[in-house]
Amino acid sequence: MMPRWWEVGMHRLHLSTWFLALAIGCTANAQGSSPKRGTKPAAPAAAVAPSTDGVAEARLIEVYKLIGHAKNREALAKADRLVEDFPHFQLAQLVHGDLLAALTRPLKTFGDVPESMAINARPVLAELREESQRRVRALRERPLAGTIPSQFLALSQRSKNAIAVDASRSRLYLFENTPGGLKLVADYYISVGKAGTSKYTEGDQRTPLGVYYITSNLDPKSLKDFYGSGALPINYPNVLDSKRGKTGSGIWLHGTPPNQFARAPQATDGCVVLANPDLQHIIRTVEVRTTPVVIASQLKWVAPQSVRSESKPFEDALLGWRNAKTSGNLQQVLTYYTPDFNSNGKTLAQWTPVLKTEINQTQGRTIQLKDVSYLRWTDASDTMVVTFGEVADGARVGWTKRQYWIHQNNQWKIFFEGVI
Amino acid sequence: MTHSRLTVLRPLRLLTLAAAMMFSVAHADEYADVSQLVRSGKLPEALSKADQYLVATPRDPQMRFLKGVIQRDSGKTTDAIATFTRLTEDFPELPEPYNNLAVLYAGQSQFDKARTALEMAIRTNPSYATAHENLGDVYAKLASQAYNKALQLDAANPAVPPKLALIRELFSPTGAKNQRPVAAAVTAPVIPTPLAAKPAPTLPGPVPGKPAPAAVPSAAPVVAAAAAASAAPTPTPAATPAPAAANQSRDAEAAVIAWAKAWAARDMKSYFAAYGKDFDPPGSMSRSAWEEERRQRITTKSKITVKLENLSVTVTGNNMAVAKFRQDYKANDLAVSSRKTLNLVKVGDRWQIVKESTGT
Repeated sequence: MMPRWWEVGMHRLHLSTWFLALAIGCTANAQGSSPKRGTKPAAPAAAVAPSTDGVAEARLIEVYKLIGHAKNREALAKADRLVEDFPHFQLAQLVHGDLLAALTRPLKTFGDVPESMAINARPVLAELREESQRRVRALRERPLAGTIPSQFLALSQRSKNAIAVDASRSRLYLFENTPGGLKLVADYYISVGKAGTSKYTEGDQRTPLGVYYITSNLDPKSLKDFYGSGALPINYPNVLDSKRGKTGSGIWLHGTPPNQFARAPQATDGCVVLANPDLQHIIRTVEVRTTPVVIASQLKWVAPQSVRSESKPFEDALLGWRNAKTSGNLQQVLTYYTPDFNSNGKTLAQWTPVLKTEINQTQGRTIQLKDVSYLRWTDASDTMVVTFGEVADGARVGWTKRQYWIHQNNQWKIFFEGVI
Repeated sequence: MTHSRLTVLRPLRLLTLAAAMMFSVAHADEYADVSQLVRSGKLPEALSKADQYLVATPRDPQMRFLKGVIQRDSGKTTDAIATFTRLTEDFPELPEPYNNLAVLYAGQSQFDKARTALEMAIRTNPSYATAHENLGDVYAKLASQAYNKALQLDAANPAVPPKLALIRELFSPTGAKNQRPVAAAVTAPVIPTPLAAKPAPTLPGPVPGKPAPAAVPSAAPVVAAAAAASAAPTPTPAATPAPAAANQSRDAEAAVIAWAKAWAARDMKSYFAAYGKDFDPPGSMSRSAWEEERRQRITTKSKITVKLENLSVTVTGNNMAVAKFRQDYKANDLAVSSRKTLNLVKVGDRWQIVKESTGT
C-alpha cells in the first residue's frame, strides 16, 4: 500500500540521517558554521544588475538545511522553485527527486534513484554525490576570516583582484585586493580535469597547478555553446611549466553548456569550469593580465602577517639584485641569475648584453621597484613569480617586468626575466 | 438566461442555486439514466442526455460531474478538463473534481498540474483517500522525472503515465444495485435511524489501500479491483456474539449516531466531545488547527444534513471498534456521499473516535 503523506513523518528521521551522513559527507556532530558565501562588499551606489552568482547553490544549501531540520515539506517547496529556476542543475534535481520520493517510500540513501534507472547511470550518480559532498564541505570548512592562501605573499594595488582554486574542494575563491589586503568576496563550486590535476602533457585531461595570470577575455559570441557564458584563458604553460617540459595549451576558466548548470567535480579536459552566473560575475569583476590565478591541489590558508616574516629572505634577495643593478656592477648582478637562466629563448650569455644595456641606461641612478607583487609556488622546488615596475630615478618611463626566482642552496636566484 | 445570471444579486443567485439543488435532487433518476447509458457504452447518448438535463439545471454539480466523466471516456480530454475545472471553480469544497482533473492531467503527462490539483483535493478534504493514493503515484512519477533530469536520462526512459483512479460519480451509488438514497431528508435536518448494524452485503470487501469510490465495474483499475474482491469477505462479527459484545457494539453505534447528530446540529461542543484525546487529525494538522478548520466548516453552514447508511460496527478487541458506513452529507449547496470509517476506542464508559477516514 502506498503510504499517505501524513504518514511520511516516519521517514523524516531517516531522510535527515542520510542527509547528514551523505550530503554533508560527515557523520560527526553537524553543528558547524552555517554555510554561507563570503560576505560581499557593500554594493556600489551606481545601479548594477543584481548578481545571480552563487544563488543556485545557496538555495540548494537552504534546502539541505531544511532537510537537516526534518522540515521536508518546506524543503520540497523550496526545491520545487529551485528546479523551476535552474532546471539543468542536476544535483538540485536529485535532491528534488529524493524529497518527492520520500513522500511515497522510505529513502535508503542520498540520491535514492530506483535501481532500474541507476543501472544506466551509476557513474553520474556517484559524481552527483561527490559534487554534493564537495559543495557542502567547502561551505562547512571555510577559511578562517582574514586568512589568505599562502601563495599570496605580496600583491600590488595594480592587481584589483586575485583568484585561488582549491582542487580538493572543487572551489574557486575570488578576492578583492583592497589597500588593507586581500578580502575574500565570493567562492564558487568548480570542476577540474577528468584525470585530476598536475597537468604535464597535452591531452592528459589534467588541470595545471601553479601561479598563473588571466591573459584575455574571450568574446562569448565567438565561443561554442559548450563554453557557456564566456572564457578567461590563463598563461599555461608558464615559465616554470615550460622549463619543466610541460606541454599543452588552452587552459581556460569557462562556463557550462546550456543543458548543464554545473559539471561533475572532475569532468573537464583541463580547464576550470564554473556555472555561468558565477563565471559572469568573475568576468565582470576581474581585469585581464593583472589578475593572478593560483591553482593548488589544496590551498593552505594563513594569516597575512605570518607570510610577511616568511618572505623576508626573498625581499632581501630582490633588494640585493636591485642594489647590484643600481651600483652598475654587472658581475655582481649576474650572481643573481641561475646558470640555466632563460628569457624567451635567450640563454644567460645572450641575456648578459641586455643587462649591460639596461645598466648603461640607468647611469648610476637608483633603480626603484614599484608595485611589487610576488607569489610563491612551492612543490618539488620553491619558486617565486615576481612582477614589478622598474624605473630609474628621474626617468619618466620604465619597464613592467616579470621574474621567476628559485630557491636553491639557500639562495634566491632568477631563472627568468622578461618585460610584460 | 445564463449570462444574466452573472449579474443577479447574490440572494437571488442563492435562491436560484437552492432551487437548482432541489430540482436536481428531486430528479435523482436522471443520474441513474445517464449512468446506465455510460455503463452500456452508449457515450454519445449519455452525453446528449446529460446536456439535455443541464439545460434546465446548468449548475447541477452531479450532472456536470457525470458529463466530465463521459467526456473523458469519449476521449474528449480538453472538454473534460474544462468541465472539471469549472466544477472546481463553482464548488471549491468538492475534492472529486480536483481528483479527476488530476487524472486527466496525469494522462497528458502534466504531472505538476496533476500534483497541484490533488494537493487542492486534499486541502479540501484531508482524509480523501483516493486523492492520497493518486497523489502518491504522482509524487513517485515526479520523483522519477526529477531523477531522470538529475542523471540526464530523459531520452532513455519513455514516460509511462501512472494509472490514477478516476472518480466516476459524485454521488456514488451504494452498491451494485445502483440504489440511491432517497433524498427526502434534504428539508428535514434529522438523523434517520440507521439500518441495523450488520455487515453490508452489497459492499465489496476492502482492498488494502484502494478505496472503492464507486461500484461501477468499468475501466478504472481501482474500481475493477474493488469489484473483483468478492473473495475477500468483509470481516464479520463473531457468529454468536457474547451478550457483552453485543452491548459493546450497540454502545459504539450509539456514539457514532450521536456524533452525526451533533455534526448536523452544528453543536460543536458535542461534536468535538465525540473525538477522543488520542484522535489523529488528518494530514499533519494539529488538534487545534483541525478543530479550527472543522468549526469554520461547520458553523458557517446554515443547514447540515448527515445521513448514515449501512452502518456496521465491529468490535475488534478490548475496547476497540470500527464503524463503517456510507455518509450522505448535505450542506447549503453541497452534497457529498462517501464511504467512511471511524475507529473508536472506549475510554471509561464512552466510545470516542480516534481516527476518521474516507474510503474503505
